[in-house]
Amino acid sequence: MADHSTIDDTRYVGQAVRTIEGRAPIVGAARYTNDFVFPGQLYAHIVRSPHAAARIRRIDTSGALKVSGVVRVLDGAEAAAHIKPITHYIDPAVFGGKSAEVRVMAVDEVWCYGQPVAVVVAEDKRTARFAAQRIQIVYDVLEPVLDAEAATAPDARIVVPGWDSNIMMQAPFRNGDPDAAFAKAAHVVKTSVDIHRFSTQPIETRCYNAVWEHDIEGVTLYATAQNPHPLRHVLSEVLGMPESKIRVHAPVIGGAFGMKMHGHPEEALMCLLAKLTGRPVKWTETREECLLIGAREQRHHMELALDADGVILGLRDRYFANVGAPSACPGWGMAFLTGLTMPGPYAVRDIDVQMTVVITNKPSWNAARGYGKESTALALELAIEDAARQLGMDAAEIRLKNFIRAEQFPYNSPTGLVYDSGDYSGAVLKAMHAIGYEGWKARQAEGPKDGKYIGIGVAFELTPEGGALPGTMVAGYDSSSVRVAPDGSVRILTGVTTPGTGNPTGIAQIVADELGVTMDAIEVTQGDTTTCPYGFGNYSGRSTIVGGGSAALAAQQVRAKVVTVAAALFDVPEADVELHRGVFSVKGQQGRTLTFKEVCYAAYTGAYSVAHGITLPLEATATFKPSNIRHTPDENGRINPYPSYSNAAYVTVCEVDVETGKTKVLAFAAAHDCGRVINPVLVEGQACGAISFGVGGAMFEAIAFDSSGRQLTRSFMDYVMPRSEDLPAVKMVHHDSPNPVTYMGLKGAGEAGVGGSAAAVVNAINNALIPLGVSLNTLPLSAPNVWGAIQAARKRGQREAAE
Amino acid sequence: MSLYPSFARPNSLAQASELLAGLSGGSVIIAGGQEIMPHINHGAMQPDIYIDIGGLKELRGISEADGVVSIGALTVHRELQGNAIVAEKLPMLADAASRAGGGRQVHNRATLGGNLVAMHPLYDIAPALLALGAEVELVKAGETRRTSLAALMHETSHGLGSEAILVRVLVPAMAAGTGWAYEKLKLSGGAYGSANAAATVQLDAGRITAATLTIGAVADRIIDAAAAVQGLIGQAWTAAAAEQLELRCPALVKQPLSDQQGSGEWRQAMAGVVARRAMAAAVARAGQK
Ligand SMILES: Cc1cc2nc3c(=O)[nH]c(=O)nc-3n(C[C@H](O)[C@H](O)[C@H](O)COP(=O)(O)OP(=O)(O)OC[C@H]3O[C@@H](n4cnc5c(N)ncnc54)[C@H](O)[C@@H]3O)c2cc1C
Repeated sequence: MADHSTIDDTRYVGQAVRTIEGRAPIVGAARYTNDFVFPGQLYAHIVRSPHAAARIRRIDTSGALKVSGVVRVLDGAEAAAHIKPITHYIDPAVFGGKSAEVRVMAVDEVWCYGQPVAVVVAEDKRTARFAAQRIQIVYDVLEPVLDAEAATAPDARIVVPGWDSNIMMQAPFRNGDPDAAFAKAAHVVKTSVDIHRFSTQPIETRCYNAVWEHDIEGVTLYATAQNPHPLRHVLSEVLGMPESKIRVHAPVIGGAFGMKMHGHPEEALMCLLAKLTGRPVKWTETREECLLIGAREQRHHMELALDADGVILGLRDRYFANVGAPSACPGWGMAFLTGLTMPGPYAVRDIDVQMTVVITNKPSWNAARGYGKESTALALELAIEDAARQLGMDAAEIRLKNFIRAEQFPYNSPTGLVYDSGDYSGAVLKAMHAIGYEGWKARQAEGPKDGKYIGIGVAFELTPEGGALPGTMVAGYDSSSVRVAPDGSVRILTGVTTPGTGNPTGIAQIVADELGVTMDAIEVTQGDTTTCPYGFGNYSGRSTIVGGGSAALAAQQVRAKVVTVAAALFDVPEADVELHRGVFSVKGQQGRTLTFKEVCYAAYTGAYSVAHGITLPLEATATFKPSNIRHTPDENGRINPYPSYSNAAYVTVCEVDVETGKTKVLAFAAAHDCGRVINPVLVEGQACGAISFGVGGAMFEAIAFDSSGRQLTRSFMDYVMPRSEDLPAVKMVHHDSPNPVTYMGLKGAGEAGVGGSAAAVVNAINNALIPLGVSLNTLPLSAPNVWGAIQAARKRGQREAAE
Repeated sequence: MSLYPSFARPNSLAQASELLAGLSGGSVIIAGGQEIMPHINHGAMQPDIYIDIGGLKELRGISEADGVVSIGALTVHRELQGNAIVAEKLPMLADAASRAGGGRQVHNRATLGGNLVAMHPLYDIAPALLALGAEVELVKAGETRRTSLAALMHETSHGLGSEAILVRVLVPAMAAGTGWAYEKLKLSGGAYGSANAAATVQLDAGRITAATLTIGAVADRIIDAAAAVQGLIGQAWTAAAAEQLELRCPALVKQPLSDQQGSGEWRQAMAGVVARRAMAAAVARAGQK
């Protein structure tokens, strides 16, 4: 944990305030989506495809309908007759890609293992599941397409009927003269990086409970949804109903990480079933179903051109993203961000990056923490490590040589992004200092002990956050309302939501300071389309930037109103009125005070006297719109969709047991720049969480398939996330460069770190294995894989010795 | 398979046995539920009748008589970890029970009987008990039968779980001075074992006079590595002996498991590594009277 001693205790901002929403989940009082049960509640069970690719010959639902307690059974064809295809969260067609028609349940053909094929609605869960086994489906199984590069072969079977290839989108990210850079290079380093499919697993799986509102012939969807308003829009299109008849209510969320961004078939499907039955219909995802949601699987073919001193002159990358079957969720966009974020923190101008997004018969992606930027960090940092090794340079030194320098900000990246601020070299040096880099190097130089090799890994991650994609519901701005009641209590309503990260507390801290009240006067309401201002919810580390920024503006407006009233009550000029933590006073006049409550009551009841000069009620709604997002293309057709560029350096020490291939993380340090820190506990919690994501992904979390495309990873027995024993205490240091355009210099803090920490671990393991001649860039670096690489290197060595 | 299963909680072993004998199938014995409830919740199992054996006093308690420790099948992992008799006479069992995953909550409910009857290749308790030469007492249709755990693990007709009840586990107390070690290799903190080995050894003047070794989690049955330790008898534990043992064990793994706990090739090699490590640790511990 960092040192929090330099805080200003007259303000809440900057302090480790306890979360206001944290108590309820801990004492079991939080109401998650699945806790809502309504009179007449029905339950849905979804029948999913056991095949990766098949034609549906026949579905016979009659057996299920005979089970007592079953209310309705629906297959894909019947659902398609009632509702439209799901509107894409981010339509690939908007960006020049191909847009598939995605139905809530398979019609005629199944595209992946686990795709919904039919649904049973019954009086209770068990009956629904029982009846589902009585649905008979005859499939003609097809040869599945599973590998992204193989899927682009001319003779590969086409997954989406009517398409001319399995490539959903191909796009270049090119700048300068990369060919010239490679021509003059002293060294060209080629590195292939294979990032496996791994996931984000919230402890609360998804749940949707659709309630048919007979009075207005509308629907309320209780949903594990990160983006209630945009989801409402999608539902209105799919269901063919005006948005005004739809309410999305997203109560407390038990973790989301992007997975609860919408486009999921079950959202509209539950609404349809509620409409058809006239009763509430609930579906709760099982862990097995939750594990079907993929992410991150990418293969990069990187080339770095370097001069004799290790300065990177140019970068080439051909990368393939295996996004699985078509989906309306925004997962595929991760692949786009991977290219857009190249070449990360490095001052390389001549780049030639090509993205190929490939549709296969694996289950679809959804957004996952990092949103493709983690893959940029992995590909870049592994390639740079390879370069350092081939040039005989220190891993830190090569990075320090190539970083964008602090004085170069704002920096125009070769893909069109405008990085706001940072001090990348400073962050690396701080992280190295925090871990005791030189000491570990000395220990490493002593050589392995008992077959245990030590390695040190350095990595950096640049994380554009707070994104806004033109023509989509990924917006850069958001809104909040601040409402003060006659008793002086405050309610903040925001368009942003929380997945459990604590942003309501951060936003409340900001409002408490701006308005001049105590924290305990504040309640925060989020996630309800009927009560909250129109907003875009939670993604891309945006919620405190735009939620907090807009709440600050609204709080300032309300403060101006109450100060006017207090000035009238004190009978002094407004400039003489002070307000701090719920107490009004008059400058220079000791003892003259009024409570916030007294002034608020006076305002509400004094519309024709003390409150004459203000607009009642004591409420305001404001919007924060970062000014540096640019959607008008520049001369190269590029936009800057991000207002803030968090960044962090990661240094780790790993120990590899060469007999087993098992790795232990001995030490971990991070220097983190998220701009101004509102609450260090929240920021460090997020940063440490991202590190455990990265470590788990780098070392053991993996979603595996058999050769027929059936997913083998079905439970937490197979998908094992890190436990506390797998991670040492993280040494976290802040290295903040305030963002010049956001409220108080905020940058995103929730998303960064998955790729940087994963890359640091991979680099440390490879660093440890240099004496054995091992370099392994195929993730995860699990014990069997590391052991396999060691064995292969030994055999290579024996062969070479024999020759 | 029934939508509306029934539930029975007999009060005595005789009653339970009679009940089971009268049922025609579709019934399932439930002890701590840690193994079976996830299957039921998941829909993989849909029993008609649950027989909760939690009320059977005959299946509880730990005692020692004539050099044999008798442990009731309902003994939970936490009791195995903390019981004085087990700690003194069967320290390897206490250790293996503490190495099982799942944490306190699971250890407070998971029973010895359930762990054995599940016959799960990745579980930790059977390898330790096999290395200790444990026997088991079963009751089926009112008849009591005693057999070695090793024989039971290869039987398919024991009827445990639905017709027969595992009553007690009987383990010869470890002789004073016995060296022992339970070695568990897993991919990460929360993972099941990828290769486990339980070893016991007795030394006389630096030479091995007796040894047992079992290897778990690498094949669908726990491997008795007696053949691999045979060559150690009469020898000192030297680097060469250790290497020999490590080389012999993988050959005993005819069909290695290959799953998310690791590839078959690796598991087979690891069988040798955990065996050697367990034996080395057992030797180091031996003779410390
Ligand atoms: C999260 C988690 C992690 C775990 N990790 C490990 C691990 O690392 N190593 C390990 O060894 N184990 C592990 N386990 C397994 C755990 O030890 C077993 O599930 C437990 O011992 C089973 O005991 P139970 O009483 O809960 O059995 P139950 O679930 O009640 O029953 C299991 C089976 O045994 C039958 N049965 C139970 N008792 C009897 C009896 N007396 N007579 C006849 N049949 C009977 C039942 O019919 C059923 O088929 C883990 C479990 C969990 C939940």
